Amino acid sequence: MADKALTQPTAGTAARNVDGYALFWGLPLALWQLVFFVAPLVFLVVMTFWTVKNFRLTPDFDTVNWVNMFSKGYVIDTYFRTLWYGALGAVVCSVLAFPASYALAFKASPVVQRIGLFMLITPFFTSYLVRIYSWQAVVSDNGVLNNLLGVFGLGPFNILGTLLGTMVGYITLTLPLVILLQFFSLSGVDRNYIEAAQNLGCGRLRTVFLVIIPLAKTGIILAGTFAFILCFGDLVSPTSLGSSKPPTLSILIVDTVKQGNNWPRAAVVALMMVLTLIVVAFTAIFFAYRVKKEKT
Amino acid sequence: MSEALLVLDKVVKRFGEHTAVDGVDLQISKGEFLAIMGPSGCGKTTTLRMIAGLEQPSAGEIRLNGTRMNELKPWQRDTPLVWQNLALFPHLSVLKNVEFGLKMRNVAARERRERSMNWLERMGLAEYAGRNIAQLSGGERQRVAIARALVTEPEILLLDEPLSALDAHLRVRMQSEITQLQKQLGITFAYVTHNQSEAFAMASRVAIMNGGLIQQIGSPREVYRAPANHFVAEFVGSNNILSGTVTALEGGQVTVQTAWGSFNAPTPEPAPKTGDALELVVSADLVAVSDSAGAEGNVLSGELISEEFIGSIITLYIDIGDGIVFRAQKQQHELDALDYSSGRKLFASWRPEHTYVLPQI
Repeated sequence: MADKALTQPTAGTAARNVDGYALFWGLPLALWQLVFFVAPLVFLVVMTFWTVKNFRLTPDFDTVNWVNMFSKGYVIDTYFRTLWYGALGAVVCSVLAFPASYALAFKASPVVQRIGLFMLITPFFTSYLVRIYSWQAVVSDNGVLNNLLGVFGLGPFNILGTLLGTMVGYITLTLPLVILLQFFSLSGVDRNYIEAAQNLGCGRLRTVFLVIIPLAKTGIILAGTFAFILCFGDLVSPTSLGSSKPPTLSILIVDTVKQGNNWPRAAVVALMMVLTLIVVAFTAIFFAYRVKKEKT
Repeated sequence: MSEALLVLDKVVKRFGEHTAVDGVDLQISKGEFLAIMGPSGCGKTTTLRMIAGLEQPSAGEIRLNGTRMNELKPWQRDTPLVWQNLALFPHLSVLKNVEFGLKMRNVAARERRERSMNWLERMGLAEYAGRNIAQLSGGERQRVAIARALVTEPEILLLDEPLSALDAHLRVRMQSEITQLQKQLGITFAYVTHNQSEAFAMASRVAIMNGGLIQQIGSPREVYRAPANHFVAEFVGSNNILSGTVTALEGGQVTVQTAWGSFNAPTPEPAPKTGDALELVVSADLVAVSDSAGAEGNVLSGELISEEFIGSIITLYIDIGDGIVFRAQKQQHELDALDYSSGRKLFASWRPEHTYVLPQI
C-alpha cells in the first residue's frame, strides 16, 4: 500500500514531462516495434479472415479458418502437446541449469567465473541448426552414443524421433541462456543473507531452498519463461530430433502452408501461439515481481 | 577448573598473505558485555566471524563451554550474530524472520509462533508481525534483528556494529535499549564497534584491537585512565601524549624533561631509570586552562588555534610547537571568564598525579 502511494506520483510526473531527450532514445525502439511487430501482427489478424481460392490468397472476411482449425481435434491436441513440450523443456532446463549457475555464482573464483561465462556464450557462435545436426549424428540409432554404449553391452537406445530427442534439442537451444540468466540473478543475492541463514542454524542445502531461490526468484522465473518461449516456438528440434512425430504448432504451421498454400489457416495457428506467449509472459512477470503480502 | 564461557586461545586468521588476526587471546565470561573496539581493519570483525564459525581460524582454538568449536559449521553452533546491515530476509515477514532460527531447530509451528510473538511483544513490535521488512523504520528493523537473534535463547549474542546505520539520536536510544536488554537477560554479549562512546556506554569490559592483536582489555575506566600503550592512549579518548626523558626520581614522583618543559608524574611500576625515554599521557579533560602563568603543577603554554564546541563541552586546540597540538576539554561555563579567541597565548596546567606514564615496552 505504502509503496503504491510512493510510486504513483513519480510515474505520473514522468509521464507528464516527456522531454525531447527521452524521446530521442525511445523513438527508434518505438518505431521498430511499430513497423516490425505491431503492423505484422495486425496483418496476421487480418489474414486469418482471408480465404484461399485455387491456391491463391484472397482478401475476404470469413470466419471459416477459425471454425475449421478449432473444430479439428488434432489442432487442439497439437496445441496442448506444444504447451506441454514447452513447459517440460523450461522445467527440465531450469533444473539442469541451476547447479551450474549456482556453482558459477557462489563457488567459482572470479577467473573461473569469467571463463565459465565465456564458455556459455560460445554456443551462440555456431548456428543452432548446425548444432542440432551434430546431435543427430550423436543420438541416431547407430550414432556415436549408441556405439559407445554398445561397447558396454548397452542399448541401442532409440532417442532420435522421440520426446527425449526433442528435449535434447530444446536443452541445446536454451541451456546456455538459462544458466546465464540464473547466474546473473544469483550473483545479485547478497551473501550476507546466506551467512545470516547459516548463522541461524540453516544448513547449506536448506539455505538454497529457503533463502537463495526465493531471493533470486525473479531471475529464475524469467529464465524459465525465456526457455518456454524458445521451446514453444521452436521448429528445428521437433523436426530434426523429434522427427516431426507427433507434430508441434510450428510444424503445423509449416505443414498448413505447404499443403494447399493455406496461409490464413497458418495465421490462425500463429496467432494462437502469439496470444499464448503473451499470456504466459505476463503471468510469469506477475509472479516474478510479486511481493508476497503475508497475513497474521 | 571452570573456564570462561568463551575462550579464544592464540587464534590466528590469515587471508592469503594477509594476517587479519594475529594470535588473539580472549576470555569472555558468562553474562558479561564485552565490546571489541578498534579502527577499520584491526581484525575485530574477523574475530567475531570466527566465533560465529563464518571464518575458520588458521591457528589456535576457540572453545565454548570448554568444547573446541573450530570445526563446527556455522549452522551447528548457537552463536547468533546481529549484522551491520542487519541482513533481515526481505522475502519473509517480520514474524517469519523472527521464527527462522526456531524453524531451523525444528520447533513445532505453534510454539515457534508463540515464542516469536513473545519476542516481538517484548521489542514493542507485535503489531508489525505481518509486515514486510521494507515497511519498517531503521529502529524497528534493528529490534527485529535482535529479536531474531535472541529467539533461540543463545548463551552468547554477537553484534557487529549493529547501530552504525542509525542516526545519532536513535543510536543513543538503541544503546540504552540493548544495554538494558543484556542486563535483564543475563546473556553474554560480544559487541564489535569502532565507536568509542558506544563501547564505553554499553560494555562492562572493553577490548582494544589493532593490527590483529588485542592491545588492552579492561573496564572502560581502566582503558580510559590507564592505557596500556601508545596506540591505546591515542585511540581512546582525547589524550595528549608527550615524550621525554627521565631526569629525576624522588618521593614517588618521576620528573620528565620534554621539549615543552619539565613535568612531574607518579612513578609507575616498574620504576624507570634516569635517562630512560618514556611517554606521558594527559587526558584532555584533566587540563586547566588560563591566560596567565603561575598555575601549580605541570604547566605548558602555546597558541590557541581552534576550538570545538559540542553542547556543554568545549575542546580547545593549543599549538605548543614541534607539531604537537595539545587538547584541553572544558565545560563551557568554566571558560566564561577566559578570552579564548584564536591566536591567544594560553597556559595549560594539570596536576602531577593526573599525569599517566605509559608502560615502557
